[in-house]
Amino acid sequence: MKKIIAIYGKGGIGKSSTASNVAAACALNGKKVMLIGCDPKSDSSITLLGGRRIPTVLDVLRENKNVEKEDVIFEGFGGVKCMEVGGPEPGVGCAGRGIIVAIETLKKIYPQYLDNDLIIYDVPGDVVCGGFVAPIKKGFVNEVYVLTSGEYMPLYAANNICRGFDKIGMELGGVICNSRNADRERELAEEFSDRIGSRLIGYIPKDPLVQSCERDGFSVLEKAPDSEIAGVYTQLAEDLLANSKRVKAAPLADDALRELSKKYSV
Amino acid sequence: MIEKEKLIIHPRPSSIVASLYTLRDLNVDVAILHGPPGCSFKHARLLEEDRLRVLTSSMDENDFVFGGREKLERTIDKAIEMFRPKTIALVGTCTSMIIGEELTDAAARAPEGVEIICVETHAGYANNTDGVISVLEPASERGMISADELNRQRRLLAEATNVEIRHGAASKGYLEPSRGDIKYKAAEQLAELIRSGKKIAGILNAKKETAYMFADELIALYETARLFGKESNITIFSNTDSALGLPRVKEHAANVMKAFDARHIPVHEIIGGLDEYAVTGDLVKDLILNKYGGFDAAVIAGVPHALPMEALAGMELFSITNGPRQVAPLKEMGHQHVMVEIDLHPQTLGVSSIVPSEFGDTLRAVAADKTASNAGEIK
Repeated sequence: MKKIIAIYGKGGIGKSSTASNVAAACALNGKKVMLIGCDPKSDSSITLLGGRRIPTVLDVLRENKNVEKEDVIFEGFGGVKCMEVGGPEPGVGCAGRGIIVAIETLKKIYPQYLDNDLIIYDVPGDVVCGGFVAPIKKGFVNEVYVLTSGEYMPLYAANNICRGFDKIGMELGGVICNSRNADRERELAEEFSDRIGSRLIGYIPKDPLVQSCERDGFSVLEKAPDSEIAGVYTQLAEDLLANSKRVKAAPLADDALRELSKKYSV
Repeated sequence: MIEKEKLIIHPRPSSIVASLYTLRDLNVDVAILHGPPGCSFKHARLLEEDRLRVLTSSMDENDFVFGGREKLERTIDKAIEMFRPKTIALVGTCTSMIIGEELTDAAARAPEGVEIICVETHAGYANNTDGVISVLEPASERGMISADELNRQRRLLAEATNVEIRHGAASKGYLEPSRGDIKYKAAEQLAELIRSGKKIAGILNAKKETAYMFADELIALYETARLFGKESNITIFSNTDSALGLPRVKEHAANVMKAFDARHIPVHEIIGGLDEYAVTGDLVKDLILNKYGGFDAAVIAGVPHALPMEALAGMELFSITNGPRQVAPLKEMGHQHVMVEIDLHPQTLGVSSIVPSEFGDTLRAVAADKTASNAGEIK
């Protein structure tokens, strides 16, 4: 079955790194992959394009009403098709509406995008308004993942995001932990996943190599394909593709979450 | 440097309203506007005179902030309970579309036997024809219209948009509204031409239900000619092909044809359907230049600016529109007499027979005066 996934999580937790490395790993595995960055910062795909920023859908729309596929969809590492939604200047306009318009535009200019084996929407950290669930509502997402670390605030955000999924009736494909070297992080993430009725589908250890590759404008799959961390992303990509388990998440009460976080702090 | 788009600052037709009119043409029972209560109020009310019930989910400030799904669902439930509709349309507005309301979610709750179609539209499209398309696409998906009809409509709407850009509401950054020429004076002149035996083309090139009044201009033309015994000098062209268009539009064409017939007025040439006013130009041109020729004048009612001036060269033109902002472009094109039927549209909603026009009645009165004074002279 075709995978159309969206990765949610607290801002700064590593959604773009995870999305681009997973996309690269899948592509190396012979899959047709598309990465759609929905953050107004528009840097989800930058490490698949050798550090190059591509024109965003909203950039092109702003200047000239007719967007063509070639204007906004670019092939990156491993043939991954990359698109960035873009957004208005901070403090003006409506970024949420921007996402809706960009997804409608994508459907118009490149209806075959659904033929890819894997489509990843990299979604902004905070689901602040209706537009931010547009990938799910209008972009045919059939699986969502939540990314967290073992720190309290990212967990808190992840739990809240699950509340949002519950409200819109979206099932959770699993939890991914992007390690920040918190105390007993994997165990905590496992128990959290378990308690909300889901499972931990991936654990990404903290590795400075990810950052250094990013700084140079690459994914680890491209710059350091033989590294241990590249292997982790390859495994995660395989697990995501193979995953068929989706659950209606049962988010924790705030107190319960606090207790859980305390339980694992050393 | 990217060239800036032309800024048009006069108000223009709304895509939301265009969606509503299209739903009416498809004989949908209830349209629910998902938005604030005042949105599209005037047209919503008018459409209720024309067999489309229009409701609103009445979003308020709280709903803008928290989302209005619950209110929309309550409105749907109430509509089903009160009006027992077979088809309901959920119509987007600027407000609900900006905040990302999902109409399909609410539509999923439709009970068996009730069809709900979702119309994702708002009033911010450059062309209001986009509002028509946003109805026809889901209507086609549901088999309410054929794929061929959808394609036909797309082509017509694209041409209609071009007509407006060339010589209509989108032709200038600002168009001053005008009530047009004094009808009495134009009627005097036209009556004189008819009486003196000039060859005159009467062209109905109207949009949908407006034909109920615009046809009256031609009826008056023909009746006046008959009064003077000159009806053989009149040739009638009419875009009332009752085989073309959405269900309601075909009905209007048949009704207008019946009205011509009842008055023993011959329609010499059918130039298209009532939704084809934007594409009749070439045929009219061909007929005038190659088949008829030699017209001294023309009376054009409906959308005169859609006809190419090459077809009308050398004729004295009496053109009747219902758009106060259409006067200046028509004058600029070279139409000598431009009359406006103020508030025509509301009068043609919910009717199935001819509605008297002001210019038509003026012409009749002028003609009657002339025959009376003529009779006096003979005595």
